[in-house]
Amino acid sequence: MQIRTYLLDQLRDLDWTLLLLAILLALSGLTAIYSIEVQHGTSAGYFARQSMWTVLGIALFFTAFYTSRKVIHNFAYIAYAVGILLLLIPITINRGGAVTRWIMIGNYGFQPSEFMKILLVIGLAKYFGDHKRKLSTFKELMTPLAMTLVPMFLVLIQPDLGTALVYFAILSTIIFWAGIRPLYFFLLLAPAISMLAAFQTLTFFLWMGLILVVLYFGNQPFWTKVLNFGINIFLGGITNVLWGVLKPYQQQRILSLFNSDLDPLGAGYQVSQSLTALGAGGPYGKGFGEGTQTHLKFLPEQHTDFIMTVIGEEFGFIGVSIVLVLFYFLLAKLITLAYSVKFRFDSVILIGVAAILVFHIFINLGMIVGIMPVTGIPLPFISYGGSFMLTCMILVGLAANMAIIRRAV
Amino acid sequence: MLQGKNIVEGWRSLFIQGLLALLFLILAGRYYYLMIVFHEKYAEKAAANHIRAVPVLASRGVIYDRAGNTIVDNAPSYTISVIPIEVKNKSESLKRLSDVMEVSVEEINRRIAKNRRGSFAPAKVFSRVPFEKISHLQEHRLELIGVTYSIEPIRNYVSNIDLSHALGYTREINRDDLNRFSGEQDYQPGDQVGWKGLEKFYEAELHGRRGFRYIEVNALGQEIGEMTDREPVNPVPGHDIYLTIDSKIQRAVEAVMADSSGAVVILNHSNGEVLAYQSSPGVDLEMLSGRISAKDWNELTTNPRNPLFDRGIQGLYPAGSTLKPLSALFSLEYLSNAKERTYRCRGSYRLGNRSFGCWKRGGHGQMNLHQAIEQSCNVYFYNLIQDIGIENWAMVAREFGFGELTGIDIPRENKGLVPDTRYMNRKYGEGKWTRGNLLNIVVGQGDVLATPLQLAQFAGMIAQKGVQYQPHLVNKILSKNGQLILENKPEAELKVEASEETWQFIQEAMYAVVNGKKGTGKAARHRNVEVYGKTGTAQNPHGEDHAWFIGFSLDKRYPYAWAVLLENGGGGGGIAAPFFGRVLRRIIEE
Repeated sequence: MQIRTYLLDQLRDLDWTLLLLAILLALSGLTAIYSIEVQHGTSAGYFARQSMWTVLGIALFFTAFYTSRKVIHNFAYIAYAVGILLLLIPITINRGGAVTRWIMIGNYGFQPSEFMKILLVIGLAKYFGDHKRKLSTFKELMTPLAMTLVPMFLVLIQPDLGTALVYFAILSTIIFWAGIRPLYFFLLLAPAISMLAAFQTLTFFLWMGLILVVLYFGNQPFWTKVLNFGINIFLGGITNVLWGVLKPYQQQRILSLFNSDLDPLGAGYQVSQSLTALGAGGPYGKGFGEGTQTHLKFLPEQHTDFIMTVIGEEFGFIGVSIVLVLFYFLLAKLITLAYSVKFRFDSVILIGVAAILVFHIFINLGMIVGIMPVTGIPLPFISYGGSFMLTCMILVGLAANMAIIRRAV
Repeated sequence: MLQGKNIVEGWRSLFIQGLLALLFLILAGRYYYLMIVFHEKYAEKAAANHIRAVPVLASRGVIYDRAGNTIVDNAPSYTISVIPIEVKNKSESLKRLSDVMEVSVEEINRRIAKNRRGSFAPAKVFSRVPFEKISHLQEHRLELIGVTYSIEPIRNYVSNIDLSHALGYTREINRDDLNRFSGEQDYQPGDQVGWKGLEKFYEAELHGRRGFRYIEVNALGQEIGEMTDREPVNPVPGHDIYLTIDSKIQRAVEAVMADSSGAVVILNHSNGEVLAYQSSPGVDLEMLSGRISAKDWNELTTNPRNPLFDRGIQGLYPAGSTLKPLSALFSLEYLSNAKERTYRCRGSYRLGNRSFGCWKRGGHGQMNLHQAIEQSCNVYFYNLIQDIGIENWAMVAREFGFGELTGIDIPRENKGLVPDTRYMNRKYGEGKWTRGNLLNIVVGQGDVLATPLQLAQFAGMIAQKGVQYQPHLVNKILSKNGQLILENKPEAELKVEASEETWQFIQEAMYAVVNGKKGTGKAARHRNVEVYGKTGTAQNPHGEDHAWFIGFSLDKRYPYAWAVLLENGGGGGGIAAPFFGRVLRRIIEE
C-alpha cells in the first residue's frame, strides 16, 4: 500500500515535459535510422535494436525517477568507486593488444565511461551537497578536481579524448554553479586555453597578456600569481610535446576542425561530406528516404555520430530547427529547475545533467557543421547506440527525480 | 547532509541560461548559413558527389587512300579489365584469369599497377582478346569477381596494301606521354596513342574526344545505375585522313618489291604528293598495335633485316652516281665550255700513288658530259670535281635539299649528310683530308649520305627544273561531318636556279640513261612513257652494294619522280633499273 502511494505520489510530481521532450527526440532519431535502413534495404536491424533501446531507456527513466533520493545520496561515493573500477577493467583486460572502451556482456557491449558521466555528477553533487563550500580557496577545489581527473586519465589512455572532455565540462559547470569566484574559475580554465593558444604564436602572446592583466587586478599573494603565470607558460610550452603523444587520427581530427579540406578522406572528409549533405537538404529537405548523400554511404557513421546530417538532408532546415528547439527546451528547463530546487544536492545533479547534455549536443551538432572537432561524441537521444540511449534516459530520469521540489523535508 | 540548501546565486543561473541561448544561436546560425544561404552550392556539390562519368572511347579517324578506299578503320575488340579493390583479397580471381589467359599472375598484377586509376576504377589488363576467351570468362564469371570486360574500338587494317612504315601504329600510352599530353587531350592510362608514322604525326587529328555516360555510384564507387536525368556526352570520333597514296601504284611497288630489302618512294613531282611509299621488309601492324608479346618484340628487334627500320626516311645510304647530275648542273652553269669538255676514261684515275677506278674496268674512252651521265663514267667526274671544288658541290647539294629534312608528315626523318670543308676538317682534321676524299664525294660515296625520299625529291626537282614541292602523305583531313580540317597544298618553291639550257641538257642526259644505246638504266625503258633516270651503286662496307635507280617522267599522265633503293642489290643498272621498269609496267598496264 505504502509503495503504491509512493509511486503515485511521485508520479504526480513528475515533470512530464522532461519525459515528453526525451521521447520526441528519441523518435526523431528513430525516424532517421528507419530512413537509412529502408533505403539500404539492409537487415542490419538498427531500427529494431534502437527501438528496443528506447523502450528500455524509458523503463530506466522511471527506475532513475523512482530511485530513492536518499539511496542515491548514500551510495554516491560507492557508486563512483565502482565506476572507476569498471573503467579499469577494459584497461587491464587487454584484448589483442588494443585497449578497448567496451565491456562485453553476452552479445551486448557497454561502455563504463558512459555511466561514469552520471556517477561523476552524483559524486560531485554529494560532495557539494554535504559541504557548504563556496570554493573560496584552492584547497576546497582539490577533492572535486581529483574526482574528475582520475576518470579523465582513465578514459584518455583508452584513448577517448571526447569523453575526457565531457568529464572536464561536468567539473567546470558544477564548480561554477557551486559558487567559485570568477577569478578562480578563470585561472582554472586558463591552462586549457593556454594549451590551445600555444598552436599559434600571436594568439599565445595575446592570451598571456590577458592572464597578466587579470592577475594584476587579482588580490592573490605575489608568488601565487607568479606560480600561476608560470604554469600557463609551461603548459603552453609542453603542448607541442603532448601533441606528439596524440594518435595521428586525433591530431587529424583536431586539425580538420580548422580546415575540412586538409584531409579529404580522413576526418575532414567526413565533415566535408556532412556539410554537403546538410547544404543539399536546403530549407525543406529532400523528403523522407530521399537523401542521396547519406544513403549512398558517402557519410560514414551516419547512423551514429553523423545522424543529424540524415535529418538535415531529408527534412531540411525545418527539421533541424525542430530538433534544436526540442533540445533547447529540455536544457533551459533543466537549468531553470536547477536554480529553483530547494537543495544543493538536487541542484548540482540537475546542472550536471544539463552540462553533460549541452556538451554532447553542442560538440556533435558543431562537429557536423565544421565548427567543432570530430571527436566521436554522439547526439543525445538521436544517435544510434544502446549505452548512450540508456545513459541519456537515466540522466533525464534522475533529473526528473531531483526536480521534485515540494518533497517533505 | 541531504538537506544542504541550494545557494546558487541568480546571476550564475542567468549566465548559464545566457550561455545556453548563445550556443544554440551559434548552431542555428551555422545551420541556417549552410542550409539556406549556401544551399545551391552544396546541392551542386552533392550531385557531383554521386555521379560518376564513365568514359566512352572515341573511335580513331579512318585513313583512306587518295581515291577514298579505306586503308585503316576500326573494329570492335574485347578488353579485359580488373577492379583493383575487388581482386585485392581474391587471389582465386586472378589465378583463374591467369589460367584462362595463359599469362602469369605477376604479369597481371604488373599491368594492374601500370593502368591503375584508383581502387574502384577498372584497370585494363588485356586488349584484343579473342571471343572464345571472353565466352570462357563469361561461363566462369562467378569465380572471377572483380574481372570485367568491355568492347572498345581498335585499329583494323582492311586494305591489301602494306604501307606499314608510313601508316605507323598505335600503342598503349605510356607514363611519359600521359604527362606530356596532360591538359591538351584527356588521355588516360590504357588509351591507344599514335606511336609511329602517320598515326603519330596526326595523333591530334585522329584521336577524337572521349564521351561520357553518367552513372550513379555510392561512396565505395560501386555502380548503382544509369543516371536518367543527365544526358550522356557523346564521343567525338577522330577526323578522317585522306592520303596522297595511290593504292594502285602502291600495290604495284609492293608486288615487285616482294621480299627484298629496300625502299621505294614515288612522288608526284608537280605537287609533292607521295603516291607510293614502301620500306621493306614491312611490319605486321596488326601485331604491333595494342599489346605485343615479349617474344614477338624480341624477334622483331633482333631480326637482321631490321623490319622496324623505316628505310624511306630514316635509311641513310651513300647516294652513289645518282648525284652526278648535281655536278653536271654546276659545271654547266659556272665552268667554261662544260658541254664540250672531254676527258679520257681508261678505267681508272690516278691521284698521287692511289688509283681510283671507274665501274667499267676497261674504261669508257673519250667522254663528254652527256655521255658521262648516260654511261655513268666516274673518271669524267673525278676530273670535273677538281674544277668544281667541295664548297660549290656542297652548295648545290644543299639547294637540292640534301643534308636537310624534307619535312614530310611522318616523324623521325633523318636529314642525311652533305660534306663540306668544315665537315671534312672536323672529321679528318685540317689539311689531313685530300683530293681523294673529294673524288669519293663526287661519285656519291663515303661521306655523302641521303635517304630514298631525298633522292626522289632530287629527281622531282630536276623534272620541275629546280622547283620543289614539299613531299607529303596527307592530302586532306575531314571531320566526320565533312568539315575540312586540313588541306596540304604545298607552294612551288624555286630552290635551284639554272638556265633553261642547263635543265634541258641534264634532262636529255637522264633521258639517254634510260633510252640511249649505252645508257646504264636501259632496263627501265617503257615503250609508251618517256622515262628519265639515273642509276647508282652505293658501296656498302658491310656487304654487297646497294642499288639505286632514281628518275622521273614528264608525261602529264604520269608526273612521277621516284627513288628505288635495293639493299645489297648490287649495281643500280643491273638491278634497280629493271626493278623500276617492272613497277612502271604494272602501273601502266594494269
